[in-house]
Amino acid sequence: MDRFKILLLPSVSLAFGILLLMLITFFLNSWPIFEREGLAIYTSNIWRASEIPEEEFYGILAAIYGTVYTSLIAILIATPISIGLAVFVVDIAPRKIRELIVISTDIMAGLPTILYGIWGIFVLAPILSNFMVFLHDSFPFIPLFSYRNPTGYSFLTAGILLAIMVTPFATALIREAYAAIPPIYREGAHSLALTRYEATKLLLGYIKPAILAGILLAFGRAVGETVAVSLVIGNSFNIHPSLFAPGYTISSLIANQFGNAFAYSYMPHALFAAGLALFFIGLAVNLAGVLVLRRWRYA
Amino acid sequence: MLREIKNGVFLFYLLASSVLILLPLAHILFSVSANGLPVLMSRGMEFLTSTLPGPNKPGGGIFPAIFGTFTMVFLSSLIGIPLAILAGVFIAEYPKSIISNLARPLMLIMLEFPTILVGLFVMVVVVIPMGTFSAIAGAIALAIIMLPYVTTYTEQAMRTVPESYKEGAYALGLKKARVVFAITMRLARKGILTGMLIGMAKVAGETAPLIFTAGIAWRSIGGINEPTGAIPLWIYYLVQQPYANYHEMAWGAAFILMLIFLAVFLPVRLMMVRS
Repeated sequence: MDRFKILLLPSVSLAFGILLLMLITFFLNSWPIFEREGLAIYTSNIWRASEIPEEEFYGILAAIYGTVYTSLIAILIATPISIGLAVFVVDIAPRKIRELIVISTDIMAGLPTILYGIWGIFVLAPILSNFMVFLHDSFPFIPLFSYRNPTGYSFLTAGILLAIMVTPFATALIREAYAAIPPIYREGAHSLALTRYEATKLLLGYIKPAILAGILLAFGRAVGETVAVSLVIGNSFNIHPSLFAPGYTISSLIANQFGNAFAYSYMPHALFAAGLALFFIGLAVNLAGVLVLRRWRYA
Repeated sequence: MLREIKNGVFLFYLLASSVLILLPLAHILFSVSANGLPVLMSRGMEFLTSTLPGPNKPGGGIFPAIFGTFTMVFLSSLIGIPLAILAGVFIAEYPKSIISNLARPLMLIMLEFPTILVGLFVMVVVVIPMGTFSAIAGAIALAIIMLPYVTTYTEQAMRTVPESYKEGAYALGLKKARVVFAITMRLARKGILTGMLIGMAKVAGETAPLIFTAGIAWRSIGGINEPTGAIPLWIYYLVQQPYANYHEMAWGAAFILMLIFLAVFLPVRLMMVRS
């Protein structure tokens, strides 16, 4: 090893060190709640804060449910749009429009998330609440619409906002992969006189892993997003099947409750345990995305 | 016939996707401008130079927020950029070493990592020992978030420098460090600068990592060891207040934040298109 390499080593190692130190920090700080409640912190839906430590009990199942629910809504909306957009940009759009779309989606990817938040709370939620009231009044027997008196602050609002926020990331990945398909496949498809639809269907088959990676990374982003979600999800402990019900996500729970958590003995530990769950969900999803992408690129 | 109908529906779907994604962006930019610009116009310079008014009082401005954002972006750059560039140099110069092979996916994971967790982490290791929220704690959280952006851009920029340039320098008998700093990095400076600016634009808009690190300040500015405001933090708290004048201020602040972001991001992005 040369000296230059050794001199540079600390800067790279720092990134690994930070991740490791983070993991240790979260483990140590959530330990007291595991000792007290075991896994009930993840499997029960109770949030009992009390001045008397003996009476405290915390379970974040509602927040885990909300995180998965909103992120699923987000990728259900984002996936078809990001595939359609990728194909449109690569195959159809003239150069000027292509540049406009690519730059616009890049702006969306980088735009401060609080701008999505202020738009979500003052613009999107009021618009959606009208639809929700209408759908609930017309079809109250459908479980998805079953929540009474929807206010606009709900799983659906958070899911739609997240869909808008994660689509740029998914589409960029899919677009890159779609554009990189060797021209010979494209020519082959066209020489068989396939329609645009048939040719695209065939070509998309080649980049399935990239599409999967795009969806996984989008899911990972949706899971970790905090402020925009916490402004529109309604912040209440709720495990309800309806799209229109208010709820919590893990990250919005932390953002919302941590400020006053230190008034209680166990609440900070409960929130660190919530953070630990977020840490592992995020890590698992992102790692899966990165691995799928890597295997596909090497193949 | 069926084939053609399917094809027609498909083309409509492609077009609809593009419209569906551009519509929210246009609506967000429009809403922020339509609600924020009037606030700025009616208050003029006062909006940039004064502090938070009382609930339902006229006037006031977001100076502590602007000050806090600039302070923390500056400090986080000071901490994060040198480290990130050195890490990027390592990965680019020793691409086959085990560390680099692990560091590349690590950077991707850090890019995607929930930023609220970074804030919580920094709270434990900086805020609690210091006993107070502070600008420096916020800046450390932002530096961690900035790291993967600058590292990735630096690495990619350095890898575009042709081998022959480096070989030429080695042939002259230069040491590795000289070659990297005098030849490779100089040739890759545009890409590295791009990474720095993108990283700074990104952290300037971050909210979640600051909630439990920077604290908040509404009516004063202080040293780097004292709680501070930031534009995104202000917006986050102001929209949750029940007062109409605070909502107006939030829109105004959002407009300023949007301008700062676009002023950094657009030129950088357009420069990337050209090169």
